[in-house]
Amino acid sequence: MNDKPSDVGKQIADELAACDVKLVASLPDNWLMGLIRTIGEDRRFVHIPVNREESAIGLCSGAYMGAMGSAALMGASGFMTVIYAITKINYTYEIPLFLMLTLRGGVGDHHKHHVSNSLYLRPVLDAINMPYQIIDAPSDIRSISRCYHHTRTFSRPMAVIFTRDLLRGQRP
Amino acid sequence: MNYVDCFRALARHRTDEIVVTSAGNSGQAWWAATRDSEASFYLDASMSLSTMFASGLALARPELKIWAFMGDGAFCMNPGMLMVERRMNLPNLTHFLVSNQAYGATSNAGLPNAQANDYPAIARAMGLERVFAFRDLPTLEREFPSIKAANAAGHIFVALEVEPFSDAEQKLEQPPFDGPELKYRFGRTIEARTDCDIFGYRL
Repeated sequence: MNDKPSDVGKQIADELAACDVKLVASLPDNWLMGLIRTIGEDRRFVHIPVNREESAIGLCSGAYMGAMGSAALMGASGFMTVIYAITKINYTYEIPLFLMLTLRGGVGDHHKHHVSNSLYLRPVLDAINMPYQIIDAPSDIRSISRCYHHTRTFSRPMAVIFTRDLLRGQRP
Repeated sequence: MNYVDCFRALARHRTDEIVVTSAGNSGQAWWAATRDSEASFYLDASMSLSTMFASGLALARPELKIWAFMGDGAFCMNPGMLMVERRMNLPNLTHFLVSNQAYGATSNAGLPNAQANDYPAIARAMGLERVFAFRDLPTLEREFPSIKAANAAGHIFVALEVEPFSDAEQKLEQPPFDGPELKYRFGRTIEARTDCDIFGYRL
């Protein structure tokens, strides 16, 4: 892989900015720390670190009702805690929401405690009919714009899911 | 003080504020007091996210003043929201913490530690500075206008100590909207007031 993680973070930030995303609400995941730092230092964004993932859902949904573009950035484990908030707010009121997650438990993740995400993240997304796209290589980053605009066209949430290879570089 | 009377008093003092209500009783009370179907978003059963939703809106539209209601049942689910609110410190946001010391939407079921919870103290401990509390209607009527009119930095936290809904009040009508209708009615009001474009097309 030619792209360094810092370059990947910059590319993702550029994609978000191209979508007129202004607010980024985040909770950390070790894989996301470089991206969170990049966004936090980028004056194109208002970066709000939140207390729990549900708060990011509320913030981004409210921002939409004020015509501000937004993205919620969180790990897979955090996403698994927000199903009620998403179904209650974004599905009931048909409020678009753009999520950026990590594919924890995927190939290359050596943390055994993510076995639950390996088993259930994608089945849970399927169970609530939430479309998602896995972003595994720098060349895929340009699809962020298409996914973001998809949320606005269909008035529903959608997630892009970053792999470890994308965010941290390939490991054996 | 009586819950609905408190909301009727606030409605009388409302000028152009945009309102976000929380689950259950606050939505019922605000609907009973105002019948507002344009500039109020009834965020039903969001389980503690009304002020986060309102914060996103307040950030996006600094030219609007936003009132957000939240019951203490919802507050108990996510008190850390005040850390986020403090960090954002939005001068156009007022967070009303409506304390009936019960889960009002579920037949006044008991709230953990209800008698000892001191919400203004919790808010101050999180670093909030513009913190107020009202226990009776005359004081609210007398002092709220000056709080509302103050031109000071930082967002406002107002604790309202109210009685739980009576059995008759529990039967007050819920705001009757389907979600998408409410989204569009509310969104079109925001667009009209601020000349923004929420939905990608204007009527």
